[in-house]
Amino acid sequence: MNDFLKAVSISKTYLNENKKLKVLEDISFSIGKGEILCILGASGCGKSTLLRVIGGFERIDKGEILICGNKVLKPSADMVMIFQDYNQLFPWMTVLENVLFPLKVNKIGASAMQRIEISIEYLKLVGLEDFKNYYPHQLSGGMKQRAAIARGLALKPSVLLMDEPFGSLDAITRSNLQNELLDIWRKTEVTIVFVTHDINEALALGDNIIVMDKTPGRIKERIKNFQERPRNRRSDEFLDLYEKIYSMLDVQI
Amino acid sequence: MMKNKKLFWSFLIILFWQVISMSGTFSSLILPSPYMVIKAFLESIMRGELLNETMYSLIIILEGLFIGTFFAFLLALASIRYKIMEDFVETLIAIAHPLPGIALLPLIILWFGTGRTSVVFVIIHSALWPILLNTTTGFRTIPRIFTDVGHNLGVRGIHLISTIYIPASMPFIISGLRIGWARAWRALISAEMIFGAVGGKGGLGWYIFKQRVFMDTAGMFAALIIIVIIGMLVEDLLFERLEANTIEKWGMTVK
Amino acid sequence: MKKLSLILSIMITLLSIILSGCTIGNQQNLEVSKISVAEQFGLAYAPLQVMKELKLLEKNLPGVEVTWKQLGNTAAIREAMVAKEVDIGFMAIPPFLIGWDKGMDWRIFSGLSKSPVGLVVNNPHIKSIKDFTGKDRIAVPQPGSVQHILLSMACEREFGEPERLDNQLITLAHPDGMNALFSKNDITAHFTAPPYLTKELEVEGMHQILSGSEAMGKDFTFIVGVSTSNFHDKNTKAYKAFIKSLNEAMAYMKQNREATQILLSKAYEMSEEEIEKYMTLEGVSYDNSVAGVPEFAEFMKRNGYISKTPQSINEILWEDVNDEK
Ligand SMILES: Nc1ncnc2c1ncn2[C@@H]1O[C@H](COP(=O)(O)OP(=O)(O)OP(=O)(O)O)[C@@H](O)[C@H]1O
Ligand SMILES: [Mg+2]
Repeated sequence: MNDFLKAVSISKTYLNENKKLKVLEDISFSIGKGEILCILGASGCGKSTLLRVIGGFERIDKGEILICGNKVLKPSADMVMIFQDYNQLFPWMTVLENVLFPLKVNKIGASAMQRIEISIEYLKLVGLEDFKNYYPHQLSGGMKQRAAIARGLALKPSVLLMDEPFGSLDAITRSNLQNELLDIWRKTEVTIVFVTHDINEALALGDNIIVMDKTPGRIKERIKNFQERPRNRRSDEFLDLYEKIYSMLDVQI
Repeated sequence: MMKNKKLFWSFLIILFWQVISMSGTFSSLILPSPYMVIKAFLESIMRGELLNETMYSLIIILEGLFIGTFFAFLLALASIRYKIMEDFVETLIAIAHPLPGIALLPLIILWFGTGRTSVVFVIIHSALWPILLNTTTGFRTIPRIFTDVGHNLGVRGIHLISTIYIPASMPFIISGLRIGWARAWRALISAEMIFGAVGGKGGLGWYIFKQRVFMDTAGMFAALIIIVIIGMLVEDLLFERLEANTIEKWGMTVK
Repeated sequence: MKKLSLILSIMITLLSIILSGCTIGNQQNLEVSKISVAEQFGLAYAPLQVMKELKLLEKNLPGVEVTWKQLGNTAAIREAMVAKEVDIGFMAIPPFLIGWDKGMDWRIFSGLSKSPVGLVVNNPHIKSIKDFTGKDRIAVPQPGSVQHILLSMACEREFGEPERLDNQLITLAHPDGMNALFSKNDITAHFTAPPYLTKELEVEGMHQILSGSEAMGKDFTFIVGVSTSNFHDKNTKAYKAFIKSLNEAMAYMKQNREATQILLSKAYEMSEEEIEKYMTLEGVSYDNSVAGVPEFAEFMKRNGYISKTPQSINEILWEDVNDEK
């Protein structure tokens, strides 16, 4: 149960103009089904790279990613990535078409009607049903990320990989979206790996938090967060954990 | 608003032209008056000749553009699919793209003779390379994220091309088609001016050439009017519509 | 409203510049300091090369600057004369008549050369124009060219339908036509003149099925000299000097055959033997007589290439012409 998603001593080197750059070194962890894992670290420490490795987007030097004991070799619709980039929706499709598209490709739903129903259901889930006929360029950054989440969730993946999805949003929108994400998570029981460099965000979301070291990216500390949800951001427990992680990251700089 | 401005300027230009020709500075063999040109235009239309030649040119250019676009896409696909084809296609473009179709004409005459085939070949040559160049550039510069998302969502093979590569490269593809059309149209008119049937059809270029040989300057202008009209229609109706319905609607135009 | 008046005033200014600019240009034409002559490339223009090499015009018209232009086709010469860039031009009779019909103010002042022209075929089974099938293509240099008119004349004689082969004609410049004839996959026949005519007939399997004089029914002048009225009337001295020089050149060619061949072989970059072969070819002659104008005019009028024929021959010939009846 605790080994649903497992990383076994991952190492990854990038080759930049014949210079080798070791980005990840000996990273291992495992999480259970339906858990939220947050990966925290300074900019450039390799969080995105790690997420891409988990998703099967990158080759690795050493190690393996296992999901239910099966090796991940390439991206699959069972593990959907929400990228850091806001422009991950296809601009040539409306919001609805963006959500419909993977359903069609993966032959989910018995009929076109049913696929539309599914898509609208997920758009409702992220609060975008009124915008279903908009093109992505007509949406705000946060709306785009929500649409991308709807597109991912509609596939009913067992894992959602999220790379700073709420990165440059204002604090209020961000915390609204975090709550929305928790709602969805509760309803869908999807396993989430969530990358962020915001300690509050990691504390609000994660069952587990991995704090990463920089160059090469290594796991510095793994913290269990047992707080009940909804979490009170002013509770002592929350603030203690915040201090602890802050000092860990502070030392790095 | 745009249309009105064009209309306004066209009107002024014609007025200007009429005044100059009425002043008698130029012989009507050099500059026929707009009235003479419109008369020649209508007469030629009535005889059916001008429309026949126009149809002939349009059919031939559509044929050439169709074949050219087809091969451009085929080569573009091959070059994103196989590394070895990418190098080959790149070399091919480097060699063929800078060659004006008209410069190849003597060679084309030797290879294909002087018939319709040669004109079609010139059109294919003029359209193929710019379309291919733009399409491959478009394919190569697709934001990585779109292909990553495509892979992630389970899109594979030819589906990836039709649903992601092509729409994502649409700005490039349209500008390739634009350049391809413009070059093919010019090449067509010039090629037709160089050879055509004396009695039979030879297209608009040939029509102009024939008017020149028989010193019918007003008739030459009449054919030029058709060329301008077709150019405007293709530009305003076809390409602007195409853009409005694709990249502009999708917010993919470069601002 | 302000904008509109601005635009209008710009246009009016432009207009006055164009109009006044052109009248100044015309006045310059009155002076006899320059004369400009246009010809095409080919041995049919040989007396002009002799005239140039011997500087005859410079001798007869001292102090006048002479510009020789070699243009690619008759249409270009005609256009240059309309634009008043050229005073004297050389061309075949049909293109001259088309220009005259369209209102060009010009007349013939001299013949230049007679030359054989011929229809060469690459298919041994074709013995006359009657043997052409609908698939055979025939190359001529231009619609309305002397070759095209001659072929129409032959068609009128043979079939009673001058336009019978028009749909099978294609237009090719002489060298392209020759290559296409040799390659055999495109055209069956080529209506051409020397040196291409002789080169084609030297090749195995090519033969001539129609000559120019057969088509016309008599000999005719191949190239004539044409002058604008403007030049004839206002520059009479230069005009006369040009004719005198041309006649001297032709006389020189008759009297000094060998010297002429050497001179021409340099001018044309051909061997003396080739020049000699051409000059002695049957049907080639250089003299100032003009033959065939009424025949061409009558035929072209009858078939709609021109809208009128001259009432009297003097409408299209200057007084000096040696009119060969
Ligand atoms: N495709 C690539 N090729 C070469 N080097 C790369 C590539 N992607 C990332 N890197 C390098 O790997 C390192 C880690 O990058 P990564 O994007 O994983 O950082 P990150 O932790 O996600 O940073 P941020 O918080 O700013 O998003 C950086 O030094 C970067 O330069
Ligand atoms: Mg990142």
